[in-house]
Amino acid sequence: MDANGPEPDPPLAWTRRAAMGAMAVGAVGVARARAEAAQPAAEAVPKPRPRIAAVATCYYKTSHGQGIIDRFMDGYGWGGKHHRPAIDVVSLYVDQRPKGDLTDERVARHPGLEVYPTIAEALTRGGPTLDVDGVVLIGEHGDYLRDDRGRMHYPRYEFFKQVADVFRKSGRSVPVFNDKHLSWNWEWAKEMVATSRELNFPFLAGSSLPVTWRIPEYETPTDAPIEEAVCVGYGGVDSYDFHGLESLQCFVERRRGGETGVRAVEVLRGADVWKALDPAQGGSARTKALFDACLCRSFRLTSPMEGYGNAFPTLEQASKIAADPLLYRLHYNDGLVGSLFMMSGLVADFTVALKLAADPAIHSTQLYLCGISPNQTLPNFFSPLANHIEAMFLTGKAPYPVERTLLTSGVLCTAVDLLAEKRRLAETPDLAAITYQAPVESQYMRS
Amino acid sequence: MRSRKPIDDAPQSPPAGRKRLAIVTTVWKYLSHAQHMGDRFLVGYPMDGAWKKPAIDVVSLYVDQKPEDDQSAERAATFGFKVYPTIAEALRQGGEKLAVDAVLIIGEHGEYPRNEKGQVLYPRYEFFKQAADVFEADGRAVPVFNDKHLSYSFTKAKAMVDASKRLNFPFLAGSSLPVTWRLPSVDLPLGAVVEDAVMVGVGGSDPMDYHALEAMQSVLERRRGGETGVRRVQMVVGDAVWKAADDGRWSRELLGAALSRSDSLQGLSVQDGRPQALAEGDEIARIAQDPAAYLIEYVDGTRATLLMLNGVLADYNLAVKVQGRPDPLSMQFLLPPTPNVAYSAQLMDKVVRMIETGRAAYPVERTMLVCGMLESCLDSRMNGQTPLETPHLAVRYESPRESLFART
Repeated sequence: MDANGPEPDPPLAWTRRAAMGAMAVGAVGVARARAEAAQPAAEAVPKPRPRIAAVATCYYKTSHGQGIIDRFMDGYGWGGKHHRPAIDVVSLYVDQRPKGDLTDERVARHPGLEVYPTIAEALTRGGPTLDVDGVVLIGEHGDYLRDDRGRMHYPRYEFFKQVADVFRKSGRSVPVFNDKHLSWNWEWAKEMVATSRELNFPFLAGSSLPVTWRIPEYETPTDAPIEEAVCVGYGGVDSYDFHGLESLQCFVERRRGGETGVRAVEVLRGADVWKALDPAQGGSARTKALFDACLCRSFRLTSPMEGYGNAFPTLEQASKIAADPLLYRLHYNDGLVGSLFMMSGLVADFTVALKLAADPAIHSTQLYLCGISPNQTLPNFFSPLANHIEAMFLTGKAPYPVERTLLTSGVLCTAVDLLAEKRRLAETPDLAAITYQAPVESQYMRS
Repeated sequence: MRSRKPIDDAPQSPPAGRKRLAIVTTVWKYLSHAQHMGDRFLVGYPMDGAWKKPAIDVVSLYVDQKPEDDQSAERAATFGFKVYPTIAEALRQGGEKLAVDAVLIIGEHGEYPRNEKGQVLYPRYEFFKQAADVFEADGRAVPVFNDKHLSYSFTKAKAMVDASKRLNFPFLAGSSLPVTWRLPSVDLPLGAVVEDAVMVGVGGSDPMDYHALEAMQSVLERRRGGETGVRRVQMVVGDAVWKAADDGRWSRELLGAALSRSDSLQGLSVQDGRPQALAEGDEIARIAQDPAAYLIEYVDGTRATLLMLNGVLADYNLAVKVQGRPDPLSMQFLLPPTPNVAYSAQLMDKVVRMIETGRAAYPVERTMLVCGMLESCLDSRMNGQTPLETPHLAVRYESPRESLFART
């Protein structure tokens, strides 16, 4: 999705998710989070126009910082008009300013906006204590270490920690949004959620995939008994795979009984992935049917036949098109198995298919990333995310629980470790303790 | 895909339950309409989350031009059908009598001259006429699909529709925009009173303005009273487009609603990614290249405008002011990217259903009326951009009750 980013780099934008108070997993054990319960608290009392501090790794065209923060300042198409958010971005911290940096241009055009040299100063606006009503953390894009496990060390935890320090010193907390997964480091991700709970502030996080358009419109029926769920996506490890995990999770978390946590994560790579899809080699026919349904929802399915623009690949053809397929298999506590197939080369979008009990049909949809196709210019998949963030700042309530992103962050960290260690399966007691209930109302973009 | 069979084996009667299709086209090359539409009948297409392979066999093909990158010979060899030198032979599979169950006419792409109005003279009427002549001579007619507008000429378009009535065969035509996905997934409530509409589109004339007009028409025809036809049109270009807004001829508010659905604003959005409210202020006039307004007045008094705004955006969006609704209804007609061009699967599925059921899903009068609207707009432009009365466009028809755009 990032047309400009250096390749194995992560993409642009999105992420979403949300949060609420969090819960200390592992250490504290299970917490039953309820979206509507998470809400705090006196310090988050909405004000007429909340003043927002934006903290970003970088701010250039197509970066997540630009995509999200611009929407708060310049508005965006929403509900059939140009929507101007009722919030003011008053301070900005930008960690890196490479060629193409837009910070100065934005400051010049938005007189109420000031750049500060540190995160703490951005939050206090140069004064002694916290002086904003909300914080947006966007740790995506920029030149950071990619470690030997392929993890990008975006400083989301470090940014968050500095924010939390200001909250502590000021004796006051305000809502925080964290773009994409919480951290590449699982212990840090847990700590971030625990801190939000300790300091009692609304915490929203995650990918924009769960909240963007769906083609066709589809939502998991409330309390649906899901037999199996599949997501097919594309992109790299510790990158777009996070978007795929959030795409999958936003559908399965609505199942009967709510989210019960993930007891084990399994990772398959290469030929093993094709075997898992081939009933003749012991694979599951149902999984293959769900996988096929996903391919049929793609708008960017690579044709297996030269000169044909749109043809359906056999498994053998697919295996030649997707040279390095990955399968992340999530074993949930209640027995559900969810599969994320990362099929770079074969598709260039994210699709989900569900099989419900007592329903012979397969339900499938595409989580549509408007704005990244050729000829498109505006990454408007950020718009629903921006809208949810605004709603949190205005109401003091996170629109969806941060536990979703805590869980997907943990699955991702586990998958990265398994891939690096060439192991297939890991028990995940921390993730088994993450239970939550999704909001009844759908959160994706429909109008 | 279906199994291959040797060419000399082409059956004169179809296997049980399967229909035989003749494709008549200007050119078959990669990414041409013939390729992405014709291939749906050869390799299937995605529909409702499954890969659909209709029980239809392409048994014959006519291609008018064979450029260097022609694919017709390869397709014929791979899928076991024959390319015939004439349309009549294609429809008769080289025999004496009509030997197909449906005809797909795709007169798009290829080298054809333009007329003084800038219209490409694709030989759709001529192709259709040859098919109709076979129907007439052989005493049997089969369903026909005509891609895009019927003809650059309303007179020819009307002759085509008249022939389909006289020979009594299902006739479906038009653009894929009316049937593609919409963002959001909405339609005009059937019977709603429309006060005004603004469509924005891009691209050249006459191919792309046609798509935009038909997209708009597919929504507006659902208004109260049904379609009554068009009584007057005017086309203005350049600064006159903005002056027309100042004069109240079209609504800036509706332009704003339409642009709010765009994912492809140009200008500063290209430069640095920022979202823009281009309906406000003069930036839009600065970045628009040769803007054009197609001002349509329907017989029932409804007003609608197509703005072709090259340099402003790169997608197709509509806003409609509906009586009793505080905010305009607005939507993007989504054109998913090449090479999948998922919209063409949606359109071809309508063709498949017509072949299967013997019934066209929506009236060909829609396409005929839009042919006339477009031609008269271009005449108005030629004629000093003055208003043009269009008594010949008093085309009445009733829209299908059910919305037929992609939603499932």
